[in-house]
Amino acid sequence: MVKIFLDGRPVEVVEGTTVFKAAQQAGISIPHFCYHPAFVPEGSCRLCLVEIEGSPKLELSCSMVVREGMKVSTQSPAVREARRAVLEFILAEHPLDCPICDKAGECKLQDYYQDYGLTESVFREFKEKREKKVRIGDQLILDRERCVLCTRCVRFLAEITKTHELGLFERGIHSEIGGYEDEPVRNGYSGNLVDLCPVGAITDTEFRFKTRPWFLTKGESICPLCSRGCNIYIDYHPGFPRIPGSAKVYRIRPRTNDAVNGPWICDHGRYGYVDLQQKNRCEKLVWNKGQTTTELSWDKVLIAIAERIKALRESSKTGRISLILTTWLTNEELFLIKKIFKDGLGVRNVSFADPAPGSEDGFLLKAERTPNRRGAMEIGFELKPPEMDGLSRDTDVLFVFGSHLPGIYRDGGWKAALEKVSVKILVTPHLNELASSADFVLPAAFLAEKSGTLTNADGRVQRIAAIARACADIRPEGQILLDLAREIHLDDAYFGALTGPEAVHRELVKDISFFGARP
Amino acid sequence: MSREFTADLKKRVEEITARYPSRQAALLPVLHLVQSETGFLSAEEERAIASLLGLPPIKVREVVTFYTMFTRKPLGRFHLQVCSNLSCSLADGERILRHLQAKLGIGVGETTPDGKYTLTEVECLGACEQAPCMMVNFDYHGNLDPEKVDRILKELK
Amino acid sequence: METKVLTKGFELDHLFRIGVYLDQGGYRAVKKALTEWKPEQVLDEVKKANLRGRGGAGFPAGLKWSFVPQKTDKPKYLCVNADEGEPGTFKDRSIMAHDPHLLIEGIIIAAYAVGIHTAYIYIRGEYELIARRLEGAIGEAYANGYLGKNILGIGFDLDLYVHRGAGAYICGEETGLLESLEGKRGNPRLKPPFPASVGLFQSPTVINNVETLASVPFIVLNGAAWFLERGLPKDGGTRIFGVSGAVNRPGIYELPVGTCLREIIFDHAGGLKPGRALKAVIPGGMSSPVLTADEVDVKMDCDGVAAAGSMLGSGAIIVIDDRTPILDVLSKVAKFYAHESCGQCTPCRLGTSWIHKIVKRMAAGKGRADDVDALIRLSANIKGRTLCPLGDAAALPVLAIAKKFKAELENAMRGNA
Repeated sequence: MVKIFLDGRPVEVVEGTTVFKAAQQAGISIPHFCYHPAFVPEGSCRLCLVEIEGSPKLELSCSMVVREGMKVSTQSPAVREARRAVLEFILAEHPLDCPICDKAGECKLQDYYQDYGLTESVFREFKEKREKKVRIGDQLILDRERCVLCTRCVRFLAEITKTHELGLFERGIHSEIGGYEDEPVRNGYSGNLVDLCPVGAITDTEFRFKTRPWFLTKGESICPLCSRGCNIYIDYHPGFPRIPGSAKVYRIRPRTNDAVNGPWICDHGRYGYVDLQQKNRCEKLVWNKGQTTTELSWDKVLIAIAERIKALRESSKTGRISLILTTWLTNEELFLIKKIFKDGLGVRNVSFADPAPGSEDGFLLKAERTPNRRGAMEIGFELKPPEMDGLSRDTDVLFVFGSHLPGIYRDGGWKAALEKVSVKILVTPHLNELASSADFVLPAAFLAEKSGTLTNADGRVQRIAAIARACADIRPEGQILLDLAREIHLDDAYFGALTGPEAVHRELVKDISFFGARP
Repeated sequence: MSREFTADLKKRVEEITARYPSRQAALLPVLHLVQSETGFLSAEEERAIASLLGLPPIKVREVVTFYTMFTRKPLGRFHLQVCSNLSCSLADGERILRHLQAKLGIGVGETTPDGKYTLTEVECLGACEQAPCMMVNFDYHGNLDPEKVDRILKELK
Repeated sequence: METKVLTKGFELDHLFRIGVYLDQGGYRAVKKALTEWKPEQVLDEVKKANLRGRGGAGFPAGLKWSFVPQKTDKPKYLCVNADEGEPGTFKDRSIMAHDPHLLIEGIIIAAYAVGIHTAYIYIRGEYELIARRLEGAIGEAYANGYLGKNILGIGFDLDLYVHRGAGAYICGEETGLLESLEGKRGNPRLKPPFPASVGLFQSPTVINNVETLASVPFIVLNGAAWFLERGLPKDGGTRIFGVSGAVNRPGIYELPVGTCLREIIFDHAGGLKPGRALKAVIPGGMSSPVLTADEVDVKMDCDGVAAAGSMLGSGAIIVIDDRTPILDVLSKVAKFYAHESCGQCTPCRLGTSWIHKIVKRMAAGKGRADDVDALIRLSANIKGRTLCPLGDAAALPVLAIAKKFKAELENAMRGNA
């Protein structure tokens, strides 16, 4: 260990640590553009200069390794002046785009200007004119006037994806970032460039001009589009009261977790999540035989379903209840299904309909395209697909969770099989042809709208937090299951005490040792 | 689209790459070699060189656009590079530039319509004892005055 | 004392042919070093001779060589800096054109001293004809057994290649040179690590200027004491000063280190044209801060010029007389660095361009009196904050001109709208 002094405070760090990282560990933030923890230090933005006693010049904290007894000052007048000067240089050629720039509100240049700039502009010359709408990727636009040449984008494509789509051309003030001929950035990780860019030079075309970061609330969650379980932020706009449909998830961004995904997420998850959150949502309760929708309510539907279950229970025929589940469900929801149906009602016929696996990309995207296969296994489910002929023969009441069943049986044979089942209850966040075959359609929450945990392929149990408010009739599956358990009076003391996902999780931890061992 | 190099050119490229432990190190010499054959470096040459050296084509263009001696478009048969730096300027190098502009009817950075001359300004050529200087292709000419310039042009065939 | 050491043979025709060179006693230094001395002895002698680098930084060559680890499992490299891009400098061209074998001798001895078996001469692309002459000489050296395998039968191998640059001043900066030699943009690297430990192809590397290496054979032949006698105790030998600008006899002048600048200008280079007065002198290439007419009684050695607030640099003396408005000089300085900035780091990329834009506006008659203060402030913001020395090279000359000639510049702006 090495002892150094940061702004007068003694700090101990591991040998070989840079001054920048030492400051970070001590809670001192040093402004920077080109530095990024995933890359080798570049040293070109010159914002991270600090004062070190005994050194005649200011030193770069991003690359300077600590020495025993080093005395570092990160806020001295000389350091503040150096930062002010770098910002002044950048702002001299930077366009006054803030009013129309998507990055406003989360722009490092703005933030540092507030802290270290606040300098009158004395630039009297003509600014360099550059291209402002260069399409560099399917969903990426480059604005060369805003670019501060931190080269993070180039280095990401060189060091992380190793695909080299972007490069640095020309020299001096004419330096510019660009692609090769018309070849776009298209490597499955292009969306990370928007997050990486400290200013508004690289922006997302789907996010462009749509909203402002200060309208968005940020929630911590897990990406569900594969079993990697990348940690994410969900940026959600709670909507304006008089504008229907204005509440939505605008984007997801990576949340750094060095044990899972580092600072990145893949495009499949990043763009797929927003699509799934918004498109083809199942939003209305449906009871295909009988009730008109105006008189429909959750209570009525739950009572009706509970009646069918109670009838089977009375005639000891709960074995004629079948479940087709999905590993998109959370640990808590799968646990409840186990307690209610397997343990409580003795249901045996349980199968899983999931999206087909894809190919893994050798980096983050895994072949399994669902988030909780491992969780389902650990809770005790056997992950087998439904055998439709047997199922249709032996089932009176069928619960289908999720909308992936049509995808497994491309020949449409599932439709004919389902005809033979008396009562079909579909609990799903998304609509497709399955809905028209169902008797009851219960609109379920998508992952941004519920809390719980998911178990990734490595066995890591990770939390998702409800950030988006589900609209109208939509309810999380967990809540639906608890309400159903209440309706059928399965074990009122037990289920009555389960007030929400946290309570269910505590039971899960008590019951199943795999989850007990994990924090 | 990528240019196909002759077997002889490829052989000369291999001779160059043999001097270095990394093929990328041969890039500048190879660019000089190819430019001396083709006159300029378009995307076709970039791709061909990239392929020979095992580099992404973008890395070739990054280098081509950084260095002033590499050109992406064709130049005149005689590239008149007039020094515009301090020592030549102290010897009235601007007069040489103005003279050439007037005589050839082109501006700095331009090529005569017959494709014979391109006129550019360059930085210090390292021949300040003979200021003012210019370089015609690779030939240095110093102690210039308008008359000497005219004589030099006459000799250029 | 005969002051011509390196340039003594320059009057000879065809000294670049090995036959002529050998007749003049060439390659004796190589024979002596390789067959009579151990590598450490060569290194010690060069250290004792206080041979300072003649490219610009003036770093002691022997000391630099000693930074390379003796034992390493990586190959070691020697890069000869023949980029000679510092405006006003033309001495290395003279050495390579007239006496390429002298340079080759210096390279062989240096490589032997440090244990290097591969050397590259990084020569600026504009020196194409010189490069061909060098290649010819190298071919002759190979043919005569001074390069290649088992040189002089002592088991020492050395390969030497010529590598052309392509028009970028920044490739004269040692790590910019390394990047360029590796086939990339000439963007200088962060130091530490230093090239002596992590250099060319991530291996220990020595980078020396042409003139520095060309001095080495004389140290071997005559000894460190002899070399020191011809210069100063801390800065040995002679140097080739290049004088250009408003003098009667521009050219190269080999003189003892420590010769007075006034003497060089007025005695050797023939002084100014009739009716002209001295206005300013740039003592060591454009990157060295300008000296006014009454500051030229300075001794031309590394420490002497530094004490006068400038630097010896490449020893390229540019003389400016009173016929030249200082704004013209400032224009050339500002334009050069803006053009040659590699663009990697913020203060240099944006600062040199901003300064250039201000100076262009001043030269176009649209300057204002407070522009001079702006230039001083911006230069101060570049100085000491950049990734490589080009930042200082850009800032210090502008700073010196703006401060020392403030009155003239501000007067020139008076009367502008």
